[in-house]
Amino acid sequence: MNDFNRNRAVDWALKLYVLLSFGFIFAPIVASFAFSFNVDRFPSLPLGGFSTIWYEAVWADPLVWEGLRNTLVAGAVVSAIATVIGFGAAYTDFRYNFFGKTVYVALALLPPTIPVVILGLAMLAFLSSIDLSGAIYSVIIAHVVMCAPFAMAICRLRLSQMDPSLEAAAWNLGATEWMAMRHVILPFCRPAILASLFITMAVSFDEFAVAWFVSGLNETLPVKVLGFLQGQVSPRINVIGTFVFLASMTLIILAQILLIKRSASPAAATNTGAVPQ
Amino acid sequence: MIDQALVVFDGVVKRFGGFVAVEKLNLDIRQGEFLAIMGSSGCGKTTTLRMLAGLEAPTEGEIRLRGKRINDLPTWQRDTPMVWQSLALFPFLTVRENIEFSLRMRGVERSERRKRVDKWLERMQIGEFAERNVAHLSGGQRQRVALARSLVTEPQILLLDEPLSALDAHLKIRMQTVLSNLQRELGITFVYVTHSQSEAFSMADRVVIMSRGRIEQIGNPQDIYRAPRTRFVAEFLGSSNIFAGKVSNVSEAIVRISTPAGEFEVASNATRHLSKGDKATFVVSGDRVLLSNQPPADGLNRLQASVVGEEFVGATAVIHLEGAEHIEIKAQKSHDELERLNLEPGAKVWVSWRPDASHVLPGE
Amino acid sequence: MRKSITFYGLTLSLPMLVWQVLFFLAPLIFLVALSFWTVQNFRMVPDLNPDNWTRMLGRGVFWQAYFRTFLLSTSAAIVISVLAFPCAYAVAFKLSETARRWAIFLMVIPFFTSYLVRVYSWQIFLSDNGIINALLAKVGLGPFGMLNSVFGVMVGYATLSLPLVVLLQLFSLIFVDRTLIEAAHNLRCGRLRTVFEVVIPAAKVGLVIAALFCFILTFGDFVSPLYLGGGDPPTLSILITDTTKSGQQWPRAAVIALTMIATLLAVAFATVSFAYRERGR
Repeated sequence: MNDFNRNRAVDWALKLYVLLSFGFIFAPIVASFAFSFNVDRFPSLPLGGFSTIWYEAVWADPLVWEGLRNTLVAGAVVSAIATVIGFGAAYTDFRYNFFGKTVYVALALLPPTIPVVILGLAMLAFLSSIDLSGAIYSVIIAHVVMCAPFAMAICRLRLSQMDPSLEAAAWNLGATEWMAMRHVILPFCRPAILASLFITMAVSFDEFAVAWFVSGLNETLPVKVLGFLQGQVSPRINVIGTFVFLASMTLIILAQILLIKRSASPAAATNTGAVPQ
Repeated sequence: MIDQALVVFDGVVKRFGGFVAVEKLNLDIRQGEFLAIMGSSGCGKTTTLRMLAGLEAPTEGEIRLRGKRINDLPTWQRDTPMVWQSLALFPFLTVRENIEFSLRMRGVERSERRKRVDKWLERMQIGEFAERNVAHLSGGQRQRVALARSLVTEPQILLLDEPLSALDAHLKIRMQTVLSNLQRELGITFVYVTHSQSEAFSMADRVVIMSRGRIEQIGNPQDIYRAPRTRFVAEFLGSSNIFAGKVSNVSEAIVRISTPAGEFEVASNATRHLSKGDKATFVVSGDRVLLSNQPPADGLNRLQASVVGEEFVGATAVIHLEGAEHIEIKAQKSHDELERLNLEPGAKVWVSWRPDASHVLPGE
Repeated sequence: MRKSITFYGLTLSLPMLVWQVLFFLAPLIFLVALSFWTVQNFRMVPDLNPDNWTRMLGRGVFWQAYFRTFLLSTSAAIVISVLAFPCAYAVAFKLSETARRWAIFLMVIPFFTSYLVRVYSWQIFLSDNGIINALLAKVGLGPFGMLNSVFGVMVGYATLSLPLVVLLQLFSLIFVDRTLIEAAHNLRCGRLRTVFEVVIPAAKVGLVIAALFCFILTFGDFVSPLYLGGGDPPTLSILITDTTKSGQQWPRAAVIALTMIATLLAVAFATVSFAYRERGR
């Protein structure tokens, strides 16, 4: 569509609408950040005054520390396991054709479409029937189910950018399948693997519903926030929210940088002009 | 001959599901020859090469390398390096690391690796790019890296899968020279798969023409060009006029063949014995066809045709004509000669050729 | 040779299969079995008793919750799709390449912020003496009871699903062939008419799928209806959490969960076949 066929007023109205949409999306995030430094217990405008008392309160709360510890442990283990099995599944989809592959891929990718309450209930019931519920590893088991599809999608996307003859070329040059994996596939997928580690960790950090069902007494930080929400008004939520936001954003930005840096570098030189003599 | 064969395809069949990619292939590849396998896409040429490389397993038959059956040998144990159409250079490695790859996979020690890579960097004239990322090289430079990477282990055979198809015309010719020289200097076998007639005919000692999973003809480029064996080959080479019919009369030196476009005389040759009533197909190459507005001299095969149009091909032009029964005829002429004729589209002209200008296809 | 099953291939492909069969498929199948168990003396006993089904499905409260949830999610899918469209349209067609990339990046951020924290924030905005009412009071309006209402639930649902809906719509709009739009203009189809006659039909699949995802997300959410909608009357997801957390009535919760899955499957199937239905033969 060229400029000739545009209507300026409509364009500006639409752009304003985009800004309003972002306003709606970011208002709660910004507000949470602003109120975390507000001295008043009951949030209202105008802001009561700058203060870090709620940060101090959170800092001094041993339950928060315990929750944070659980969150970090779960996040680290989940991201490692989810990325390993997600990568394996992505590679399987990339390389092999077999009977029932559609079922395999569907099974691998389906979990995020099941509502978390249902997943939470099913996990709780199943894990307690085999005595695996109420512990930090229950959260890990459940979160790997939910995160592995993301890991698989990220790695699969990277593999689809790979010249399919690259792996065969490695075999042809004397590399066994394992050597080709180690020297060609893994180096090629490295940015995706790192991105997958960060993104699955971020997903695990924020997940509260399934964790709430299965964690029992070993609550993660988001489950604690859910607990605060059920209680009375507490600016601690804002503090924790700000903290979790900053942690997640760091992970996401790291992942983005890794993915963008790779796709920006030229995959193949198109210049065929200059030849050395 | 037998002990000269480096590779033998013995009744090799390759099926993908219900699709037959290669059908009963029997082919000997000699030590030290430059063999081109040519055909249009889907003819089975790449599948043949990939079976030799160990990237596809034959469904039936046997492939032997130096007399040893290699059907079940995985590609990484074969030492049949390949240059890929996409080149398949490892984008995360430098030029040196790419070339070094197969030595590393074979556990060659570092100092030895360095020595051998240096030798090939110099030989392919890419020494100054050794530490560069392969993504930042030009097309020709990348070709050289791919060649060095495959040759660094000094194999007895090199497989090439349309490696020049992405290059521009000028660079293509230059790389053809590089490849021919390299093959001659190293004295090893090159198996070169291509759909390009000019690449195959200008480099190869022998050319294999494949169609629908079968070999249509094997021979040196001159022989194939002069004496195509089948209609497919004649059509594939592109410049011939093809007439199919029945033998109506046989005399000592002349065979008369009756076709829908008329009855023509063909000089009998040794390639195929014809007797009356046999089906026969012969070709007349476009540059041996004569055109005239007046009836041609006696003793020439002749037919009348109308001009369809003309196509400029550099210094010459190809006139497309249509004879009786919609027979297509092509004549290749110089521009000077054409000026003397009336060749308006639709104009009637005489087409003629000498009986010994035609060639009977032995395979039809 | 390539096709045969190898140790290498199994090592890479089996972990995902084993994990998802063991911890995803098995729990869902277990849920089905569980719905036939009975509870005796506060203990669950394996059984094949259809009692839970007949009792749950025979209750007015259940059906009230069912229709309320269904209605809320359907409204959310429609309202949020309509609200998201101008935004997705503007980002797809009116922004520069760089601005579009930034817009997409910003739309991804909410996925990685705590939904709970955002819902809590909305409580601050919407409560009777919250930010919005404080602002309205200055111009002499209100106060409006926005919290614990359907409006509150919708705000929460939009918080949950608006970014995803915008992104999905955006991706389908980006792939609409620009020449179609030029052709429409060229055939004297006006700007607004082109949107309805050309752009929306061309991007139909993506737009419908976006609405479907909105339905799925909101159908299973218990946070917004509870903390912004007041939780009374409850939605199905609130029923599940209540039933699960208060005692041992898990079999009944399983019945609710399975009804939800059945509904979601039916809706997803109907929606997808609608999305891919072609005109003409």
